[in-house]
This record gives sequence, structure tokens and C-alpha cells, in this order.
Amino acid sequence: MRQLDPVSLGIMWDRLNAVTNEITTALVRTSFSTIVRESYDLSVVLFDAKGRPISQGRLSAPGHSGTAANTVRYIAESFPIAEMRPGDLFITNDPWHGTGHIYDMNFVRPAFRRGELVGFTFSDTHMADMGGVGFSANTADKFAEGLHLPACRLMRDGVLDRTIISIIRSNVRVADQVIGDMMANVTCNELGERLLVEFMDEYEIDDLSVLADALLGQSERAMRAAIRCIPDGVYANRVQIEGLGTPLTLAVTCDVRDDEIHVDFAGTDGLVQGGVNVPFCYTRAMSIFALRLLTVPTLPANDGSTRPLHFSAPENCVLNALPPAPTAGRHVVGHFVTPLVIGALADALPHRVQAQSGMMDLVSIQGRRGDGREISTMFFGAGGYGAMDGMDGMATIPTPASMRVTPTEVWENLYGTTIESKRLIPDSGGAGRYRGGLGQEIVMCNDRAGPLALAFFGRQTAFPPAGIRGGAAGSPHGYAIEGRPVPPIGRSTLQTGERLVIRLPGGGGYGDPRARDPERILQDVRDGFVSVDGARRDYGVAVDVENATVRPL
Amino acid sequence: MSYRLGVDIGGTFTDLALFDERNSAMTIHKLLTTPDDPARAVLQGVHELLEMAGAPIEHVTALIHGTTLITNAVIERKGSRCAMLTTAGFRDVLDIGIENRYDQFDMRLKYPRPLVERTLQLEVNERVGPDGEIRRPLDEDEVRSVVARAVERGAESLAVCLLHAYVQPAHENRIRAIVKGAFPDLPVSTSAEVLPFMREFERWTTTTINAYTQRMADTYLRRLEDGLAGMRFAGQFYIMASNGGTVTPATARRFPVRLLESGPAAGVLMSSHLGRLLEAPNLLSFDMGGTTAKGALVIGGEPQKKYELEVAHVHEHKAGSGFTVKIPVIDMVEIGAGGGSIADIDERGVIRVGPRSAGAVPGPACYGRGGTEPTITDANVLLGFLDPAFFLGGRMRLDLEAAGIAMRQRLAEPLGVSLMRAAWGVHQTVNENMAQAFRLHASERGYDYRNFTMTAFGGCGPIHAARIARILHIPRVIFPVGAGVMSAFGLLVSPLSFETVRSHPLAVDRLTDHDLAAAFAAPIAEATSFLDRAGVPARDIRVKRRLDMRYRGQGYEIEVVLPDPDGRLTGVADLPDLFSHEYARIFSAAQLNEPLEIVNLKVEALGPRPAMAKGCHLAGIEGGARLKGSRRVYRPEADDLVDCPVYDRYALQPGDVVAGSALIEERESTCVINSGDAVRVDADLNLIADIALSGRN
Repeated sequence: MRQLDPVSLGIMWDRLNAVTNEITTALVRTSFSTIVRESYDLSVVLFDAKGRPISQGRLSAPGHSGTAANTVRYIAESFPIAEMRPGDLFITNDPWHGTGHIYDMNFVRPAFRRGELVGFTFSDTHMADMGGVGFSANTADKFAEGLHLPACRLMRDGVLDRTIISIIRSNVRVADQVIGDMMANVTCNELGERLLVEFMDEYEIDDLSVLADALLGQSERAMRAAIRCIPDGVYANRVQIEGLGTPLTLAVTCDVRDDEIHVDFAGTDGLVQGGVNVPFCYTRAMSIFALRLLTVPTLPANDGSTRPLHFSAPENCVLNALPPAPTAGRHVVGHFVTPLVIGALADALPHRVQAQSGMMDLVSIQGRRGDGREISTMFFGAGGYGAMDGMDGMATIPTPASMRVTPTEVWENLYGTTIESKRLIPDSGGAGRYRGGLGQEIVMCNDRAGPLALAFFGRQTAFPPAGIRGGAAGSPHGYAIEGRPVPPIGRSTLQTGERLVIRLPGGGGYGDPRARDPERILQDVRDGFVSVDGARRDYGVAVDVENATVRPL
Repeated sequence: MSYRLGVDIGGTFTDLALFDERNSAMTIHKLLTTPDDPARAVLQGVHELLEMAGAPIEHVTALIHGTTLITNAVIERKGSRCAMLTTAGFRDVLDIGIENRYDQFDMRLKYPRPLVERTLQLEVNERVGPDGEIRRPLDEDEVRSVVARAVERGAESLAVCLLHAYVQPAHENRIRAIVKGAFPDLPVSTSAEVLPFMREFERWTTTTINAYTQRMADTYLRRLEDGLAGMRFAGQFYIMASNGGTVTPATARRFPVRLLESGPAAGVLMSSHLGRLLEAPNLLSFDMGGTTAKGALVIGGEPQKKYELEVAHVHEHKAGSGFTVKIPVIDMVEIGAGGGSIADIDERGVIRVGPRSAGAVPGPACYGRGGTEPTITDANVLLGFLDPAFFLGGRMRLDLEAAGIAMRQRLAEPLGVSLMRAAWGVHQTVNENMAQAFRLHASERGYDYRNFTMTAFGGCGPIHAARIARILHIPRVIFPVGAGVMSAFGLLVSPLSFETVRSHPLAVDRLTDHDLAAAFAAPIAEATSFLDRAGVPARDIRVKRRLDMRYRGQGYEIEVVLPDPDGRLTGVADLPDLFSHEYARIFSAAQLNEPLEIVNLKVEALGPRPAMAKGCHLAGIEGGARLKGSRRVYRPEADDLVDCPVYDRYALQPGDVVAGSALIEERESTCVINSGDAVRVDADLNLIADIALSGRN
């Protein structure tokens, strides 16, 4: 292939992304799991023959940024490339070589063209079950969590290994769904190989590495250029979060020098006795996600764009958990890595950073409806979005993870409970020059079901979403049953006739509240987002809606 | 002597087509849209067109109208001040939204502000359960006082949005009656009548759009009706709806939300009509204009339907940044790429096209109205695909030099490539983007597009179609006659129709044929009543039934069409097979061992399809010599300009064959035929291109 000019590179890069997106679409379409279909807990990546990522699907979970390259490397270490044949397919769900917990199953397929290995296709999706005690934070080690599969060859010459399928089938609860989702991945990797080969045929590319060199080089240059715009310095941040019983401190230092960043998590607390420890691959992925947001968000996470980024953490701190630490709920703590890193760069990139958001909340609910049908579900809700320079946070928009909420009408049809109200909470958005997004209060009554077992994974209760650059924190998260507060991480029962109140936090504010445009305060009071008392307390102004005046106190 | 007349209002032009049923002659006309009062251009256009054709208005039996009025009112927020009444505890639903980020990597994403002001989002005490039982009676006194408060605050219309009204609309209906008594002039839209579909956020959003646009739709239709009556028009007046069917003005007034995106729907309808005539049952209909491009699949001669549409995007045209509306629509994919889309260099350092657009003002640099950024049209004129002296049939001259300056300064020089290479990069990037959008659209629906036929129309469609077909491995492209007014043609082939949906959960294993028929009875009665009122005799009404079904417990459903052969109703016993066939087609993976359930029932009632002769000829357009001359056109394989023959489309005769590379010009567009491709002219003057499928960039 001739040297690539920027025009050809752009066209081919777009085509390659189109191929990856088509594979992703096929994967989403054929998956059973609601988590895959609604929150896109998946990724699809294409690699060259050297195992370098060259394209990533448009829907890829933040926690999967750049983990696929490690997985492909791990597979190639376990099964030498020289012995790979057309029709091979490899899998693993090892947390330390995958995405940080056993629920994501990773698939790697070598792609052959004219008998020659030209690249790899990769996919992973979140599985509905992996055996063991089920999705829970209450485990002492990884062995209790469920089935761990090291690198395995699932297919040889296009034929499935029935033993591996049988092992999985006899370990998981909803076997049809899990095996069905695995087949969706198998099919999508076959499609991936076909489309990759067609792409090479059409552009007469015999060796993807020329294209890989060009686009990795271009990505690296773009990332370095963006880093050079950040003033050199050592930027630190700490956040406190709820642990299991005692608070946890997460600490970070970002050392920005010339066109490289070194991110170190020294000062972070040690492991906890429960499945919320974070393998470093996930910490790294959430850090890369944060740094992409702050630099060039549309730039894919590949070996080029991450080359100027370096990450380190002390062994067996909660953000670098080693085996056999339990990690099933690694996102409960891991989601804080993104605001931790973003917060560190608040002074370096004042116009790009964001206050902490009220995150996604989920309550696991199990029991039986009045008519005897089983209930096993999750209730999702979102807190308010953190404010940014020039932008108030939106109400009830979560980050870094995202999920589509179940409509009240759908919920009430299925789960034997009634949502009595779902309201924005006035004054819940952190005050600031730009206000944090509002949180919400949900009242759920168990009026048509037997006793319901609830499991909570609540965060931001003692430590509400922090403001940034002088902005105030949003309102805290909290649960109550019949007016009694319940522990945010743990289990409770909702008896028939009882009410559960879920208060989801508001996002943090940005900048000094006293610098907020009085017009915006007036509009907020008109809209009921801020009360007259709240305006007095948080912004130091007296608002008179009738006469449309805002007066400093 | 009788005529039918189609009038389609687009963003830039109002297109008209008059069909003479006696001799199948089609007379077409185009004039600038009058945004301040769209009815003006319509009435003027009708007058001019009838004069051109020498047709007396008394002989026009039907006038079918497609309009973007409702879409524009939502985009430009020009509707009326609308209040909303919800179940107590849920007035914040529109502000809470779906609690989802539509783009992981865009921190500054935006969502549309609800059309109802916060102070007009009001609550009333009542509660209906999911099974339809009344759990808490409606507080009627509260309704009166709350609505009075809304009117005091300036409400001009009311959206009534209660939970579970799709199964039990009694409270919504009662509120309508109370309001009718107290405020007879306040238009009321209830969520159950707008579309009785489960999922409050989407249904209520749809209801508020209906309430928001009701007054203006009424005013506009009155203007047209009065104007037409003043011209002594005495035929039927129909409005095109988003689902590809037409409705009476009375229905349009009641459900203006159903008129969203009706123009593009008409284009797809014309594509499927052509597909039926040309025995190409599976089509990709491709329409590219000045600001957007749209694609739609036609399967087995029928446009595909869906019940969700996103309109009025507020952020870079991204999916998720608009209002999600639940109405029956023709399933289309839209991307923000049209002739005016701006090209620049993105964060990766390569060419990106869109989402910004130069619009009509300043427009592409070559319009010479002050645009300094290169657009798709600038690229196409530099590459030689467009003749600067023959744009819009010579009505507008293009400034080649200005296009060159913009392209050189913004792209070629920063990238270090030649002017032509940069222009080619823009052209081919758009082709790739479009191909990607179609690829995903087809793939999401489980269709393999590779043996489909493409129909290409709109001002820019014929320029890009052949290359996109090549990328998608589509072997055949049809450039229909009258490509510039396809939507107006489509209006003429659209039947009267009404569609509705009921959310109605039913377990298949306990269902009898009687239950199924009973469940369908109410929606069928509703849908057919609209045709009945429009005067369609019962024997001419066709009813199509579809079900949304799923495995119990699965969170997503698939649509199953009930074949109902020869009017014989498909029974419950056939449902499992129909479901698994469709499931296998879409998912192609393992099937679950779970019981089936029905989630929604969908009914479409259709009147007879208007007769349209096989093909038609354009009256009053004369061609000159077949070969107009030749032009220097960029050939990427040679990275150079080469001579390319230019043909006059209006001079080509049935049976003519043109081998690529060639340009075939018509007034509104140019068909670009690439090297290796060949075009023949069919008996009806459509151009049929066979695409060579071994190409490269």
C-alpha cells in the first residue's frame, strides 16, 4: 500500500469505524441482556496483526477504554499467535485481564485473509449471571463471586468447545440468556472478521500495520498537542467516599510535564472486605476516560493516544486490588476515579472541568407479586449533573455511567409496587455561578407484593457530590423506609404496605454562587428549581418573583 | 377531464405536481417557500401550475398537501402557550426525562427544554392503576380551579397527561368534558387519544407537541381552505401524515403532531411506488437535499413503519438531543449532511463534514453570498460534478473561484494536499458517512442491504448515489424522472389512512382467537372511523394488523405482521411461528424457552390506493441535443481531472445507454455516473444504473 495522505487516512479511518459500528449494532441487536441493550455495557474493537487497536465502536462503556488491548495481549501470551488458525475464538472473564470484574466476558478472534493472520476482532458484553453468590458486595474473595475463566479457546476450526459451554451452563442461573449472549458475541466476531477482510480487499490493503502506524501516530500527535495546552505542574486531588462501614479516601496526583501526564494514586486507602475493590485495569480505563473528556473527547483510546499517559498505584490499595480480592462491584468505587482525576485538573483546565455529578443509583429488588409471580429486578434512578463553566447541570442526568430509566407505567405493570411520586428536589443542585443539576425524590409503595428484599448500593450519602472552583456540593443521597433512614450499602425489607423513599443527590455547582447572574437566579425561583429561602441561603439574595427583582442581602 | 394535485412545502422550495388522469401527463412547478406565510406560496403555486397546464381548477378532484409547518413550529418554538395537567406527583416528568446520556464523550450535551413552561406544568389528584382500575377518583373541583389558574397565566391550549391513560382514559375524558364546559375555546389534547401507548415520558411529550401546535395548524388550514375556496376549488383536500397516508383537514386539526416530517415520508412512498413498477421490491430510498440526507428501507414494496420519531434536535443533530415523539411514521434514518454542510478538520487531524451547516445564508462559498467555509456543494462544483453555469437549470450562477479559495485555505493547505484531493476528501467522506448511516439502519433492523436497489433523489442525492451504492455493494441505482419533486409525486400515490396503537399486555399461552379479535375490536373501530368520516365506503377499507411481541420478561419486543390472507384473520395458533420466524430473522441467535406475550396491538386502516398510471411523462419540458458537451471532472483513481461527457437528461430517449464516466444533467440535480457503471433509460425515462462492484477509493 502506498503512503497514506491525510485524505485517504480520514476516509479509511471513517470506514474502519463504520465497520466497527456495524459489528456493535449486530451485537446489541442479538444480545439478550437488558444491561447490554439499554446501557451499552459492552465494547467492540478491531486490532492489527501486532495486537494494536485500530478502531473502537461508538458505543463503548467508559470502563472499557483501552482494556481490550491488554486482553488481546493476555490471549496471545496464553495461545501463541503462530499456532492460531482460521476459525479460532478465545474467551476470558478474568477481572485482571479483562474489565475488572467477572461479569464482562471478553471474546478475541484472529482474523485471517488468504490464509494469513491480518488482525484480531474483539468484543465484550456484560453477562446476566456468572454463578457464585450472585451480584453482591458481600464476598470475602474472588472465589465466592462465581466462575472465573482464564484464557480459553472456545472455538477451533469454527467448532465450539462443548466442554467449556457445559461448564458455563452448569454454573450460571439464567443459562439460556448467558449462552445466548455468548453466541451473540461469537456471531459478531465472525461478522467482524468478514467485514475487516472486505475492507482490506476493497482498499487493497495487505498489511494493516501501515494504516495502524498512520492512525496511531495521528492519535498520539493529537493527544500530545492537547496535553501541551495544559500548564505544566503537579495537580493533586482527594475525595472521600462511603466504604463498607468506614469512609474511604481516594487520592490522585497528576504530573503534567510538557506533553505527557503521569497519574499516580498514592495515598489511596487499602482494600476493603467486600466486592468493591478495583483492579488496576478498571482504574486505568476510568482515568483514560476522564483525560479524554478533558482533552480530545472524540479521539479513540488506542495505543497512540494513550502513549503519553502513564498510570501507577500502590499495590493492594483499593484502586489496584490484586487477586484474590473480590471485585464484582468494582464500579461502586471505580466510578469515583473519573471525578477524582477531573477534580485534580480543576485549576489547570478551569473551562473544561466538571463538578461531581449525582451518580446512577440502583436498588436490587426481589420477592413475589400478589399474584405469585416472581420479582427480580433493579430500580434505577439518576442524580443531577455536575455544573461546568458556562453551563448549569441538567436535572437527573448521571455520569460517568449511564442507564435508561424504566418508565413508571412499565414499572407498575411488572413489579407489584406503585410509584407514588417522582419529583425534582428544589435547592438540591449545588449552588454556584453555574448551578448543579437537580436531584429527585421517588416514593415507592409496596401495595401489591409480598415482602420485598432490597439491596442498596448507595453512594454520595455522607459525601454529597462536590462542587468545583468555589461551587457548593449538591444535596446528599439517602434512603428511608416509612420515614426511617436505612443503611445506604446493605440489605433491608420492604413489607407490604410500606413506603420506600429514595432521595437522589443534586450535582455539584461550579464557581462562586455570589457571581451567579441574578437573571438566572430569578428564573430558577420562577421555575421552582431554587426556593426563595434557598436563594437567600445559598446565593445571598432576596428574590421577589412578583416584581421580578433580585436584591443582594 | 380530471386532475390531482400534490403540493409539498420544503425548507427552501414549494414543489407542485399536477397529474392529468386522462393522459398520465405530469406537470411540475417549483417556487420559493414563503416562510412568513407558507400558504401564500401554495396558493400562488397552484394558480401558476394550473395556468401552465391549462387545467381549470373545477376539474381538480383532489389536492394533497405535505407540509413542514408543524416540524418548523417545534424547531423554532413558534407554537402556542401550552399548559399541562398531570397525575399528582408527576408534573416534573418532562424535566426529569429518561435519565440517560446519549453521548458518553460529550460533557456539554444538551436536551430540549420542554414546550410547557414550568409554571404551566400542573397536577391534579387522581390515580388509575396499570390494570385500568380507578384507585383514586378524579378531583373535579381541583380540575376546574387548576385549569382556571392556567388560563389566568396565559395558557392557550391544554395537554392532559395522566398515568396509565392508555388503558383507562376515563379521567382524561372527564377532564376534557369539564374543560369544554368551563373554557369552550381552549383546545384540549389528551394523551390517550393522541396515542394510547405505554411509557409516560414519550406519550406526554407527544401530547404536549400536539397541544402546542393545534392552534397554528387550525389557522394555517383555514387560510388554505379559504384561499382554495376563493379560487373555486371544489375537490377533496387532504393532508399528508408522517406515516405515508393522508388525512382530512378535520383529522389534521385534531392531531397536528401526526403531520411531523410528512414531506420526506412522501418521497419514500414514491420510491416504493417506483419499486413496485420496476419490480424492485427491496429498496434503499435515498434523498439528499440542502441540509439533511434521509434513507429509508422499502421491503417487499412496502415502506417500513415505526412508532417513534425524534424531531427538533438541539445539539449537533445528535440522536437523543431532540424530542422523542410517538406517532406512526415511515422509518427513516436522517443525517445532518446536505449540500450546505461545512467541512473542516477534526480533532484527529482528518476531514470531517458537518454537523455545522452554512444553511441558505450565507450558504456554500460558491453561492457568493459571503460564505468562507467549504461545503459539500463547493467540493462538488470543484470536482466538476456541478456546472457553475447550470445550477438549478441556470437560474443561479456558482462562483468557482470562491469555492476554491475556501477549500484551499480551510482544508488543502492545512492538510498539505492538493485542492482537488481536499475536495475529493470532502465528497468521499460524505459518501462514507451516508453509507455508514444506512449500514447501521439496515443492520439494526436485521436486513442485508447488499442486493437492494437504491432510488436517488433530492438536489444532491443523484450526485452521491452511485458512489454510496458502490460502498454498500448495492448493484443498481434508479434515478427517477422528476427527481427534484419526488415528494410532490409521492403525495399523489398516498392513500387515505389512519393508524393507532394500544398498549395491551396479553399472555399468548392463555389467549383464544376470540380474545385476540376482541382486543383488536376497539383500535380497528377507531382507525376505520376516520376513513368512514372521510367518506370511504366500508368495502374499500383495508385493515392491517400488527403485534409487538416478546418473550415474557424480556425488556424489548419485536413487531410481528399478521398476514391475514384474503381477509381471513390470523389466529392465535399461528403466533408462535410468526414470532420465531421474525425473531430468527432479526436476532439470528438462539431462541429462549420462555412463554410469549403481546405488548402492543397496532392497526392501520387504509383507503384504496389512488390510481397512478404506470409511469408518467413530464409535460412542457423539452430537451436539446443528447450530448451537451464535456467537462473536466476529477477522477480519484488518476488523481487528476479528466474529460467527461455531459448529457441532457431531457433529451435522452427510452433505450438509450450511457457508459460511465458521465454526467447527466437535469434542472434540479446532476446524476454522476462513475467509470465502470452503465446507465440505461427505461420506457418511462427513469435512469437505471448498473454499478460495478469492484471499485476502490
